[in-house]
Amino acid sequence: MADAIKAMTSRERVLAALNREPVDRTPVCNPTSVATVELMDLVDAPFPQANREPELMARLAATGYTELGFDTIMPVFSIIQESSAIGCKIQWEQKDNWPTVKMREPIWETADDIKIPADLCTHPDTKCVTEAIKILRKEYGDEVAIIGKTMGPWSMGYHCFGVEPFLLLSLDDPGKTKLCLDRMKEATVDFGIAQAEAGADAITLPDHATGDLVSGEYYERYLRDLHIEFAERIPIPIILHICGRTVDRMEYIAQTGMHAFHYDSKNKPAESMAIVGDRISLVGNINNPETLFSKGPEEVSAEVRENLEAGVQLVGPECAIPLQTAVENLKAIPQTVRDWHKNIA
Amino acid sequence: MAQTLDIGRRIELVSMDRHFHDISLGLYRLDGNDGAEFLVHSYSGLAGVPGRVAFVTEAMKTMGGLVAAENGRLRFPCGSEHNRGVRRVFLDICKLAPDEPPAARELNVFDPKADSTVTVTAYAGGRYTFAADKDTDKSATRTGAIANGIVKLAETTLEDDTTVSFDCGHSHDVLVAQLLPRAINVRAAVREQEAAASRGVLAAPSQQE
Repeated sequence: MADAIKAMTSRERVLAALNREPVDRTPVCNPTSVATVELMDLVDAPFPQANREPELMARLAATGYTELGFDTIMPVFSIIQESSAIGCKIQWEQKDNWPTVKMREPIWETADDIKIPADLCTHPDTKCVTEAIKILRKEYGDEVAIIGKTMGPWSMGYHCFGVEPFLLLSLDDPGKTKLCLDRMKEATVDFGIAQAEAGADAITLPDHATGDLVSGEYYERYLRDLHIEFAERIPIPIILHICGRTVDRMEYIAQTGMHAFHYDSKNKPAESMAIVGDRISLVGNINNPETLFSKGPEEVSAEVRENLEAGVQLVGPECAIPLQTAVENLKAIPQTVRDWHKNIA
Repeated sequence: MAQTLDIGRRIELVSMDRHFHDISLGLYRLDGNDGAEFLVHSYSGLAGVPGRVAFVTEAMKTMGGLVAAENGRLRFPCGSEHNRGVRRVFLDICKLAPDEPPAARELNVFDPKADSTVTVTAYAGGRYTFAADKDTDKSATRTGAIANGIVKLAETTLEDDTTVSFDCGHSHDVLVAQLLPRAINVRAAVREQEAAASRGVLAAPSQQE
């Protein structure tokens, strides 16, 4: 793979891999956060401020590239920026914990309640993201890939209706559920386009039809067509993110026209590659809680190699890493990729 | 240019030091010439951080029985890692305010559950026996439980109901004394440690409230 390819910048490498084109080596990619409390200290950009102030957001995100050696910078650490702009109640937490939506205090009950505010992309918590992307693009030019994030309507359904009410609605009334998704999708598209215009090279689209709650048939019924629409309307490569065991829906995901699927360690690399083939790139899938958080660099390296040997196009953590993850474990990911390519050259 | 350091494997982390601007403090384990070495480190560049790191480092000597190694590192005199024990001591020391002078504890502890005082006697070869000042069934049970607590907290071996020993064969009086109050309720100590370690792990939306 790597022999005949001239040396690439990180950005070129990531974009090529998203398009399943030849690369000089497998890119190391984080479609979700790699922020840690130690990196927050290093650049004096702690949570929760780094989720709300663009300069801090950009500074903390850049450590993924400057300190860890990843080929991407992903400044949208949380999954709540647009939910805050929509009006959800947010628990901003403190430095060592994630901000979350208070989903037990939902803001909507029916499809008629859904109103995407006109200031969705100029609200301080969404503008923070677009401003951070602009800062990063100005600072790093074309050398590194900048990845944004816009939440899909299924995730927004959890945030705005509450997890249980939204799932019950999907069981009781598919028509109304589709109506809700159709109305919420505009927030996904608008925030995605805003980040593309700010300079993002690609965008992560988490839509938590997760393996533990939603079946593959559900994905096909409710989300596949919406995801096809996102791929058509958002003008930069989309990396779909769904946690959990998802092999039962990878066939449908591969049909969406999205560029990549960020997949969980509950799916084996080889079995996942066998399903998606060359229709969509895979990104992942180093385990967070058991490996990156709890074990050492040797165990991290073993999982990286399993992905490389399966032909996974972009390697990285499976999801947003725990904030207490050790730096040496994260640095083991790009180091292992480089060593592996040297050994096969 | 990267500023993160190659300082070994991080074995413990205090993510927010309540006594110093919520900085993170890490305990790193390295291989030295004479065995395992440890380094207290913070990536924070705030003024005063070196002083806080030095305070914790010194307290590890006073309250954990570690000694100075090269380059600001620490080691146990025996050269062993004693992973669980050194991590527990580090966590306890990080709870100390800078104006609290570190002091080694005594080899005895009052056990409110048995209303008795348990005294630990050190013997050669890293052996320790536990005995209560009251001769009741409850005291006997609790003395064994405290010995078992030290087994869990310091990775010692239980030789009989009230005797434990370090596999390294060396004495660790200061370490045992420091862990003794935790051994009274080892489950609470372990729960606290696990809860602190699990903060910052992002739950899937389905698991959030």
